Amino acid sequence: MIKLYNVSKTYAKSTVKAVDDLTLDINAGEIFGFLGPNGAGKSTTIKMLTGVLTPDSGTIEIDGVNLADNPIAAKSIEGFVPDNHEIYDTLKGIEYLNFIGTMYGMPTELLKQKIAEYAALFDLTEALPNMIGSYSHGMKQKLSIIAAVIHDPKVWILDEPLTGLDPQSAYQLKQLMRAWADRGNTVFFSSHVIDVVEKVCDRIGIINHGKLVAVDTLENIRADGKLSLEDMFLTITSDGERK
Amino acid sequence: MRKYLSLVKMLFVQQYKTRVTSLPGKKRRFGSVMLYLLMAVCFAPLLISVAVAMYYMGKFSQGDLYVGTFLMLACQGFVLMFGVHSIMSNVFVVKDAERLLFLPVRSPVIFFAKLTVAYLNELLTSALAIAVALVPFGLGAGAGVGYYLTLPAALFLILLLPMLFGSIIAMPLSALVTLFGKNSAIKTILRIVIYVLIMALYMYVMYSFGFLTGSENGNFLDNPEVVIKDLMDGFVERLQSVMPYFHSDYMLMMCMLATNAGEWFVGMALTLIENFALLAVMFAVSLPFYRKMLAMSVEGSGSSERRGKKTYSVKNRGVVREFIRTDVKRTLRDPQVGFQSFAGLIMMPVIVVILYFFMGLSSEGDSSFLEFIGITPLYQVIAPLVIMAYMTFLGCSTNVLGLYPVSRENRSLYILKSLPVPFGKILLAKVLLSTAVMLTGDFVSCVLIVALFGIKWYYGLAMLATMALIGFGSMCICTMLDLRQPKIGWDNFNQGLRNAKNSWIAMFIAFLCVLSLVIVSVPFVVLYGLTDGEGWYFSLCMWIMDLALGVGFAAVTYKIMNGKASKYFDRIEV
Ligand SMILES: Nc1ncnc2c1ncn2[C@@H]1O[C@H](COP(=O)(O)OP(=O)(O)OP(=O)(O)O)[C@@H](O)[C@H]1O
Ligand SMILES: [Mg+2]
Repeated sequence: MIKLYNVSKTYAKSTVKAVDDLTLDINAGEIFGFLGPNGAGKSTTIKMLTGVLTPDSGTIEIDGVNLADNPIAAKSIEGFVPDNHEIYDTLKGIEYLNFIGTMYGMPTELLKQKIAEYAALFDLTEALPNMIGSYSHGMKQKLSIIAAVIHDPKVWILDEPLTGLDPQSAYQLKQLMRAWADRGNTVFFSSHVIDVVEKVCDRIGIINHGKLVAVDTLENIRADGKLSLEDMFLTITSDGERK
Repeated sequence: MRKYLSLVKMLFVQQYKTRVTSLPGKKRRFGSVMLYLLMAVCFAPLLISVAVAMYYMGKFSQGDLYVGTFLMLACQGFVLMFGVHSIMSNVFVVKDAERLLFLPVRSPVIFFAKLTVAYLNELLTSALAIAVALVPFGLGAGAGVGYYLTLPAALFLILLLPMLFGSIIAMPLSALVTLFGKNSAIKTILRIVIYVLIMALYMYVMYSFGFLTGSENGNFLDNPEVVIKDLMDGFVERLQSVMPYFHSDYMLMMCMLATNAGEWFVGMALTLIENFALLAVMFAVSLPFYRKMLAMSVEGSGSSERRGKKTYSVKNRGVVREFIRTDVKRTLRDPQVGFQSFAGLIMMPVIVVILYFFMGLSSEGDSSFLEFIGITPLYQVIAPLVIMAYMTFLGCSTNVLGLYPVSRENRSLYILKSLPVPFGKILLAKVLLSTAVMLTGDFVSCVLIVALFGIKWYYGLAMLATMALIGFGSMCICTMLDLRQPKIGWDNFNQGLRNAKNSWIAMFIAFLCVLSLVIVSVPFVVLYGLTDGEGWYFSLCMWIMDLALGVGFAAVTYKIMNGKASKYFDRIEV
């Protein structure tokens, strides 16, 4: 569903590769967890997947559509939850959702229905008529999540989605991610929280200094040996540090 | 003290920092230098003419104390209008509250640091303007060395009074604005209206001292010296009764123009004491206000918003329409951006009205003058041209909506980049919006011009069309510039963006446009004049040429913008 071939990116103002020759293939119906220490290149990868950044080299395919050649088609089957919470502060929550729905070309009735459904799920209905500027961190996060799923994306990409959520919402989100993948869609998310990754993901990838250092299913990792995911993560990523 | 100094340093430096997020070109430094040089050349005539006027002011008044004080006051008014207003409101805009409040520093220190930064900003931007007025005045007046030695100190002191006024005005303003309520869009509009009123008041006060009115001694050409002396005497007389009330300025001027040490000393001492008192008053008055704003910003105004209407219709209105709708809401509700973006719209018509009063076209019920001049053929050709040139310059250089279409998005720009909407559509929406705003301003101004200046309606129409076309063209260029190197990550729209390079470039482009308009038109005006107003076809040709210029400019710039925009947009790193 998501395919990256030899994708690299160096920021204009920097000399190190934030993402270095990354190749990944993520299947339909799977939840993929993307792990790595701070500054490893997770957010950069995610931004390239969603068309926010253009890769320097390499190609990205979303459901067989080349992102560079046909960005509109590719983006319209994606939903994106960013790690920052810079949403339009001077809009009301409901106005923002209406804006996003319109941009994804949703018909009015469907949009209404979806907003009601997801706002209820994340307990945000009350807050929707208020300005986003008055929202708490977690409320903005929830709004971002809702905005990313109302158009029923085949590929759902989340950057550290669980930070700031209360236990109920975190639970709802995990359930929703599972349900999403079970319907044959793909969920791609980055996280630092190994417990969550262990519980939710079908497959994980670990990135360090822009390079993919491990990709495997959780079963394989568990079957492999005595190492827990946490130990494995620590060994793999600390290698890079020592060099 | 150390905390205070490091706070000042941090705040001062921080306001100029934005994350430039696109590839820098190679020859940037050189280009900037050239740009500033060009700007200097363009603005030199204006500065020089102000300087010359001030020189003669000094000369004819022979360094009169009252005239000097008036000059100082006029400078302060200018500073108040164009600088302090926005800067002071930024002292009270407490977006950074959460970043500062947790520091182990008492809030008066923070507030004083913010005031200091505002003061430094003001000093940077207006010291030159004040010097351009005061130095030639001294030269003209033949002032002694003491004048110039005291001048640097004066530059520092002069700013205090407008800052006091600025902070005092800012308080009832925001109280009034809060009174009117929940709707932040209305607040922005209210803010603009009040600003315009204050500006008109300033103009009116300055005008009421009427430098050029009240000579009975006959003809200027026969006897210029007498007439000038007469005018000056009348002027001084009017000032005499008012100026001493602005005592700190009066003392400062006295000190500057002092001819002996005693006078200098007395003046300096008094002005220092008085200015210090001003500062203390300002601090005492506005600190509680600052605290209140802080408390409000941290606690949020959620309670009042909850009472707001709960009905909002969810509806798909089509991409471009929805985009424009949200863009308007977002800018209008944002106090900083909204004010900047829509003030220009109201400013233009107001300036037309002010111009009308200034030119004395309304004076003494003498409508016959306007009627007379209205039927003069040459007036009908020249006046629209002059006004149009002026308004084009103003309109193009103040169109903030068009100037920063992308930087305005600030940190949430990633949203636009991740949407499945072709950038062409986003661009179209942005351009449509700023064109609409600009057109509204142009339209109202043109109607006013036709109504007030007795210009024939068809000339008004031609003006409108030309102005719209040229405005559109310059906007295309500005959009492209902003796309090429957007400034993202600002906290203070004024400091981070408004004064950035693009504003200067926009002004420069506007200047070039006006210049080409004038160059194209002047030959026809001359020909028309030579035929004694018989050759109407020359006037027609002139407008056709102007319009053609407008169409060409708009078409070419639009084409260039469209070709480059999406490439630039993709390149931006958010
Ligand atoms: N706008 C930018 N300009 C320049 N360099 C950047 C920019 N954003 C990120 N980087 C650099 O790119 C590298 C990867 O950053 P990225 O944000 O992808 O890390 P991350 O894995 O998401 O980290 P975290 O876990 O902290 O979110 C880092 O070295 C960072 O310094
Ligand atoms: Mg990240």
